[in-house]
Amino acid sequence: MTVEVQSKAKLSQLSSDKQLTFIKLAVLSMAAILSFATRLFSVLRFESVIHEFDPYFNYRTTRFLTEEGFYQFHNWFDDRAWYPLGRIIGGTIYPGLMVTSATLYNIMQFLNITIDIRNVCVFLAPFFSSLTTIVTYLLTKELKDEGAGLVAAAMIAIVPGYISRSVAGSYDNEGIAIFCMLLTYYFWIKAVNTGTILWATMTALAYFYMVSSWGGYVFLINLIPLHVLALMLLGRFSARVYVAYSTLYCVGTILSMQISFVGFQPVQSSEHMLALGTFGLCQLYAFTQYLREHLSPANFELLFKALLTTLLATLGTALVVLTVTGKISPWTGRFYSLLDPSYAKNHIPIIASVSEHQPTSWSSFYFDLQVLVFLFPAGLYFCFTKLTDANIFIILYGVLSIYFAGVMVRLMLVLAPVMCVVSGVAASSLLSLHVKDIEPKVEKHDKKKKHENNFVFRSEVRAHDGARIIFDDFREAYTWLKMNTPQDAKVMSWWDYGYQITAMANRTVIVDNNTWNNTHISRVGQAMASSEEHAYEIMRELDVDYVLVIFGGLVGYSSDDINKFLWMVRIGGSTERGAHIREADYYTGAGEFRVDAHGSPTLLNCLMYKMSYYKFGLVYTEGGRPPGYDRVRGAEIGNKDFNLDVLEEAYTTEHWLVRIYKVKPLPNRGL
Amino acid sequence: MMPAMAKIQVSVLLLLYIAIQCGSLNVDTISSDIKIKNVDRSIDISSQLVKITSKVTLENTGKVPVKNFLLSVEGGAKSNLAFISAKDHNNKDLRLVETTVKGYDQVKFWRVELKEAINVASTAIIATESVYTKALQPFPTAITQQEDQLVKYNGNLYFYSPYPVVSQKTNVVLNTKSVESFTKIKPFSQQDGTIAYGSYSNISPFTEKELNIHYKNNSPFLTVTRLARLIEVSHWGNIAIEETVEIEHTGAKLKGPFSRYDYQQDHHSGPASVRSYKTFLPASASDVYYRDTNGNISTSNMKVKKDSVELDLRPRYPLFGGWRSHYTLGYNVPSYEYLYHSGNEYLLKMRAVDHVFDDMQVDELVTKIILPEGSTNIVVNFPFTVTRLSDSLHYTYLDTKGRPVITFTKQNVVENHIQDFQIRYTFPRLLMLQEPLLVVGFLYTLFLCVIIYVRLDFSIHKPEHQHKD
Repeated sequence: MTVEVQSKAKLSQLSSDKQLTFIKLAVLSMAAILSFATRLFSVLRFESVIHEFDPYFNYRTTRFLTEEGFYQFHNWFDDRAWYPLGRIIGGTIYPGLMVTSATLYNIMQFLNITIDIRNVCVFLAPFFSSLTTIVTYLLTKELKDEGAGLVAAAMIAIVPGYISRSVAGSYDNEGIAIFCMLLTYYFWIKAVNTGTILWATMTALAYFYMVSSWGGYVFLINLIPLHVLALMLLGRFSARVYVAYSTLYCVGTILSMQISFVGFQPVQSSEHMLALGTFGLCQLYAFTQYLREHLSPANFELLFKALLTTLLATLGTALVVLTVTGKISPWTGRFYSLLDPSYAKNHIPIIASVSEHQPTSWSSFYFDLQVLVFLFPAGLYFCFTKLTDANIFIILYGVLSIYFAGVMVRLMLVLAPVMCVVSGVAASSLLSLHVKDIEPKVEKHDKKKKHENNFVFRSEVRAHDGARIIFDDFREAYTWLKMNTPQDAKVMSWWDYGYQITAMANRTVIVDNNTWNNTHISRVGQAMASSEEHAYEIMRELDVDYVLVIFGGLVGYSSDDINKFLWMVRIGGSTERGAHIREADYYTGAGEFRVDAHGSPTLLNCLMYKMSYYKFGLVYTEGGRPPGYDRVRGAEIGNKDFNLDVLEEAYTTEHWLVRIYKVKPLPNRGL
Repeated sequence: MMPAMAKIQVSVLLLLYIAIQCGSLNVDTISSDIKIKNVDRSIDISSQLVKITSKVTLENTGKVPVKNFLLSVEGGAKSNLAFISAKDHNNKDLRLVETTVKGYDQVKFWRVELKEAINVASTAIIATESVYTKALQPFPTAITQQEDQLVKYNGNLYFYSPYPVVSQKTNVVLNTKSVESFTKIKPFSQQDGTIAYGSYSNISPFTEKELNIHYKNNSPFLTVTRLARLIEVSHWGNIAIEETVEIEHTGAKLKGPFSRYDYQQDHHSGPASVRSYKTFLPASASDVYYRDTNGNISTSNMKVKKDSVELDLRPRYPLFGGWRSHYTLGYNVPSYEYLYHSGNEYLLKMRAVDHVFDDMQVDELVTKIILPEGSTNIVVNFPFTVTRLSDSLHYTYLDTKGRPVITFTKQNVVENHIQDFQIRYTFPRLLMLQEPLLVVGFLYTLFLCVIIYVRLDFSIHKPEHQHKD
């Protein structure tokens, strides 16, 4: 107590200006620390380890980058994936993430801080979310005031929609991309507000960082031109906007083309056309403004009409010609599914099969954004009441991202920051409206802290809920593969596990999570869906030595390969060579997908079924149930007594989660 | 590099060189004065190692007291020999010096220096112990999951000695009754997992007679193919030890499939496989971690006992013949148990190699010792002959000129090599202040810079756009 009193006394000795700075600094740094700390649960509860699928690929490439240097990395042809095609890694990834961690790693090595590259990767996302907190503060400060900035910063530190993508160990592009995106927005608002080339160039640099780290930069390069267009329509277009946008577009486009994965897309693909068009429009608009000042109204009218028609005509024909000749690439599938949620499901099974690409359910809005859902409309209202250039931007951003988040679960991540910014504005405005006498910032901070405690508490309850059994079967299997198979062994598995196998087991895979070649994945799907003899031909063709399947029937792990199997059938049947695989064959007469005795005979004799259930028919899984009772499907398996002819069980993990089979060589002649 | 340190290094190397040269230049002759009255030999082949202990009764038949005698090992077995020692009747270790004898180039000799000379016409009892690795060959070389592992032992029926042996007996310990075949040279008897040979009388020097035993041996045939041991000494009270272990099941290879169903249903399934093993750490070990390149290995138990910490290590998967595994095991021990000092002189006394599992065999051991930054005058004392690799420097947190690293390596290591090495070095105690001062200095500079920066105004003119609505 005495210490507190003393410090209070000391604080009050400072001038009110200094006090304010002190409080702001304190709140902001606490928010930053909080955002780092909330993301460490996985490390505290388990260990410092990379999670999921894609992060393993990023981790592997980062390790390569630190070990071999940038030029080797840039020219890297990976023969460990997509056998026998291989993959040009350097030209097919966004290198921003790897370069960031490698740079951090090298700096620390230079300072003799001997931290492991794995730990750099694990803690990168939490570290960047701390930075995001600060950038959110700056951005909101530009939009409204410092109070709103502090509230927004505190909110983004703990918004679940963002936490879920940036916990320690989730080493993915999104982890740093959200920071880059907000940084670009901040600089953009700065540039629009000041109209200086300096800030515009900073925007371009931040945009370059964004392009180098995430494919979602397309959202950004469409949002900023939209902002400019909106400003034009509202008659707010000014020299400031002109300077800001022209500089950003020129510098930013040239910079973004330096990323080899992006290449010439900024001037060719239709996704970038809005930016190009707006750039042209800006020039015209500025030119007409200039002419209007120097010509009489009648002359100007004539000139304007003539110019406009010719221009529109040339642009229209050029666009058509370029699209027809293929200079402008057609819209990619992922982008179509943004505009039409049902597009992917109907046309591209490989996109639809990813749960991240499913449309968002209503409930997940509430789970991911919590109170922000209610604050957001209020914030929009406050933005509308005091319309500025910056506010228009944030309104556009908010409305657009709400739409996109509704289309694809994954894009909830883009929505979360703007929700925080707008809600920060709302909360701050509400408070300064109603609580005039109390310092709004201090008040808000207390409120936020309660929120934080709440969150901490809930996670802990979850942690101690029930006995904690770790099924470590994945690492068991990958380590087994790494240590006990030949260096050049080729492993076939469904593509989900490709990145993990190459990273953890260091073995060549046929397909992986970079789903660039649909026919290849389809071939694997066909092998899994075919009978043993037929599958053997495909496996011989692909040079497969080992096959890996995930089987959850013993312990009740529901995202196993049997549950994903229908996607394998669909993707397998989606190409010409897989035409003999028809989804209907795998259903019962009543159209059900069943693994028990009533299941379709095609299913009960396909390779995936046999590999999953080999010898499982002998196992008692639950009391009072017959042997071979699958705990995921809740059924006794239909085909129990069978032998494998072309495969032999090479390894099965302790809880049967991962089963690895060895492909037998062709039998010797005369046997 | 400081010249003093360099000088000492050179002189140490020179001494080592001389010692090695002396060792290889030793030439002895076989004294005809010595006769072996009796040998009681026990060959333990119940584990993966061959451990031979012999009680040798020496007799001096000459006219002068005998101060030393020779031990010998067959030419065919010398590459498998990992360890040899001799003790007198007081159970005191005797000094063994490698030597050669003219005319017996294939045979390996040691000269045993006796503490008390054997007087004329009197006897002395010496106990020798030798350990051989990889002397047991699995046969058949590949077995299925359900089969037992059979191994072949191929040794010498007689005590191999440069002196005539009047009488000798050999006991072979198998710990199993299931013996496929064994050499039957009378007199012999077989009971309860042991085969007794002898006694045989009047065997002349250097007699070799094949002893073959083909029997069931399901004990763990684990070889540590490489053991890298890293010892990092801190003067702040802590010594960190990290062991990187590469392990392989070197018994009969697994033939055909591995069936998890059989392995779970029947505990007798996979008799030759290794599910887990125990590692003993020092009693004061704390903060133990057990992990590999893919992260923690969650399957291990730790029991703290009175005189040691017992780790029950389970590899991620059971080890069958030919399967390999690797892991890193690390822990901390307080430095007061191993580090002694008077003034600026320090003495570090630690195990050159530590226990991995019972009856372990290590193909290659590499031990690295990282001393605190600023240590000089380093003198190392090894308990057995090792190959010392060149010293290097290690940089870690708050280091400026690097910490000296001593590295040595040894092939073919067994449990008997768990012995202490000693390192003496000088460390000025004032250097302890270097690291805290570094941090203080850095923060001081940082704050100073900030203070100066905040008070400077670099702007050419006041910004015009005050854009606050």
